[in-house]
Amino acid sequence: MNKNSINKGLRFWLAFYAGRLTAFLCRLFRLSGTSLPGAVALRICPQLLFYLAPAYEKVIAVTGTNGKTTTTNLISYFLRQAGVPVIGNGEGANMINGVVTALIKDCNLFGAAQSRTAVLEVDEGSVGKILPAVKPDLIVVTNYFRDQLDRYSELDQIITLLRKTIDRLPETELLLNADDPLAVAVGRGRTTVQYYGVEGERDRKGSEENEIRESSFCPDCGELLTYDYYHYSQLGDYRCTNCSFKRPEADFLALDVDNSDLLRFSLYVQNKNSGEQELKNGSIDLYSQLWGFYNVYNILAASAASLIIGIPKHIIEASLPDYSTATGRLEQFIYQGRPCTLALIKNPIGVNEVMKTILPHEGKKAFLIAINDLAGDGKDVSWLWDADYEKLDQPMISKVVCSGRRAAEMAVRLKYAGLTTSKFVLEPGCRESLDVLGLQKVDQYYILASYTSLFNYAKLLRKMGKAVAKNADQGLPSLS
Amino acid sequence: MRIRACHLYPDVLNLYGDRGNLLVFCRRAQWRGIEVDVDQILLGDWGDFNRYDFIFIGGGSDSRRTLVLKNLEKITPFIVDAVEKGAVLLAVGLGFQVLGRYIKAEDGTVIPGAGVFDAYTEAGSDRSVGDILLEATADLQDELKKAGNIDITTLIGFENHSGRTYLGEQGKALGRVIKGKGNNGKDGTEGAHYKNAFGTFLHGPVLAKNPHFADLLLVKALSPQEEISLAPLDDSLEILAHNTMKKRLI
Repeated sequence: MNKNSINKGLRFWLAFYAGRLTAFLCRLFRLSGTSLPGAVALRICPQLLFYLAPAYEKVIAVTGTNGKTTTTNLISYFLRQAGVPVIGNGEGANMINGVVTALIKDCNLFGAAQSRTAVLEVDEGSVGKILPAVKPDLIVVTNYFRDQLDRYSELDQIITLLRKTIDRLPETELLLNADDPLAVAVGRGRTTVQYYGVEGERDRKGSEENEIRESSFCPDCGELLTYDYYHYSQLGDYRCTNCSFKRPEADFLALDVDNSDLLRFSLYVQNKNSGEQELKNGSIDLYSQLWGFYNVYNILAASAASLIIGIPKHIIEASLPDYSTATGRLEQFIYQGRPCTLALIKNPIGVNEVMKTILPHEGKKAFLIAINDLAGDGKDVSWLWDADYEKLDQPMISKVVCSGRRAAEMAVRLKYAGLTTSKFVLEPGCRESLDVLGLQKVDQYYILASYTSLFNYAKLLRKMGKAVAKNADQGLPSLS
Repeated sequence: MRIRACHLYPDVLNLYGDRGNLLVFCRRAQWRGIEVDVDQILLGDWGDFNRYDFIFIGGGSDSRRTLVLKNLEKITPFIVDAVEKGAVLLAVGLGFQVLGRYIKAEDGTVIPGAGVFDAYTEAGSDRSVGDILLEATADLQDELKKAGNIDITTLIGFENHSGRTYLGEQGKALGRVIKGKGNNGKDGTEGAHYKNAFGTFLHGPVLAKNPHFADLLLVKALSPQEEISLAPLDDSLEILAHNTMKKRLI
């Protein structure tokens, strides 16, 4: 059957127009509407995604724990820069309702898709529902860390789910993070796999002992893995002590990473089958406004994915410096006349990497940490104790405001992290906590917020202060 | 004063912020001028458990169960001996399950555990996940009262486990479930308590959410037999956090 000539039937059209109507109503009532239209449409036609997806010539899916939203947004950005019409759930609703909403919105009134390429962020727990329907040409796996323990109790289950799902998708190419043994485990036994990785740096070698090392066991034989170096968490150069499993050679390799100010590194392409001919054994130099070592992985994954689907390297090289961040990805504001950085925190690895990025900034700092425990945040907040909040115990940090539904528990965590109680303030309310932060006479404000409070802070900061980023994507980041 | 503590298998049982229990234990000791030395006993290591006043073992993913049990076998008699002699032990989640008499796996195979607690675990299909509130047993309430100066009789935590754990005839629970599932979701019991050994499914970490329980362990570790009292601390923040959650759960 021709890809585009599926007989859609009455149920499809009912669902489609119900979704469109819901999207219209959401706009009318100024609701965000990134999931509801899809939810309504799927109630009428559960198979809707199977009908919508074949309209796209190329589908790229991004999954994993951290970095999905940035990677997805970057791939879309590169494609747009290359003049390719692209649709995606860049607003971060990454479960099936969000994906369906994005695709419904991409259609004209007659149900015809406007874009040729779909770049989809897929929640790691939703891969079984979404991937078989959209049949991606390429799946990018970022990394696997412990996240939302109440929802995803076991990392092994998440990885097994993806493996089982792609078993039914033999054509799909995989692009995996070579530095993460858990991501590499996804591709065991498959032939169409490419890898990206970051070449080791002495600076990051043997980073702090306190960090949580995620499952350093061989996915093949279960033995302990040994590491030549770690980048962070379990990302690094590893090999099995018992069998032949080791970090695969990266087809796309980041070299000479410099993150002293903004990010800069060379992307070296080693694979003969992918990318442009001229790139064979050559490298491109990448510069980005994004902060943080972890963004090397996001840029690397997005660049590699874009090269694989044929985006010319000069587009990536030329457009990356202009790309700025989405809500909560270290978004910049001015608040009370002072620079204010807003960051999403959702798991210990994320917190540690964000702190590593911002703590070296000069000047006196005040923090606001907002912890909620709704479904979107993860109902279990025990992860606060796996993150290195001990790092906040330093003289340049003069105040930490704790807010959110778990403000008191955050304050307890800081107390045991060694901060004197006079340094932190308990203020559960969103507006009120921001007021307290605004009273601090420091050089920099930092707001670390869990998912459900993030958007409220972003909204308030836009109202009470101003956003700095010029071409920021203002959508919500992903739930997980 | 000095307490010798050990963290059992932090390399594999390191889930749900459980390492925070040792942090809380150490801080509350230090704030009273008591030093704590913590040894890490990694998978495959052997430890002289009679040296330790406090042994901690945390939770981990079920996929590590076989690995943990295989290694635990070698040190089991030493742990049992230490507990019999009055050592304080806190076991959380999977750490609690492996210290029971046995675990019956999904396929019906029975794997023996350390037998510190008169309890056994059967694999369950659905997980018990959510905030949990307990009323400590009368015995435990007595001990809590004697040990410290925080007037709380409840325990709070976050449970996340799939096995169903049942207490044997000699088994005593830690508390009665007011809100949540507890050991098996049926008999209203949570955790196990034998001499100075405590098993529980409460994460959070349990000692951070329950400073009175932390002080009890501290008192027992300092002096397993005699009653001693600790200098009071300003626990207003911990108590506020405890009571905020309690109010939400009742």
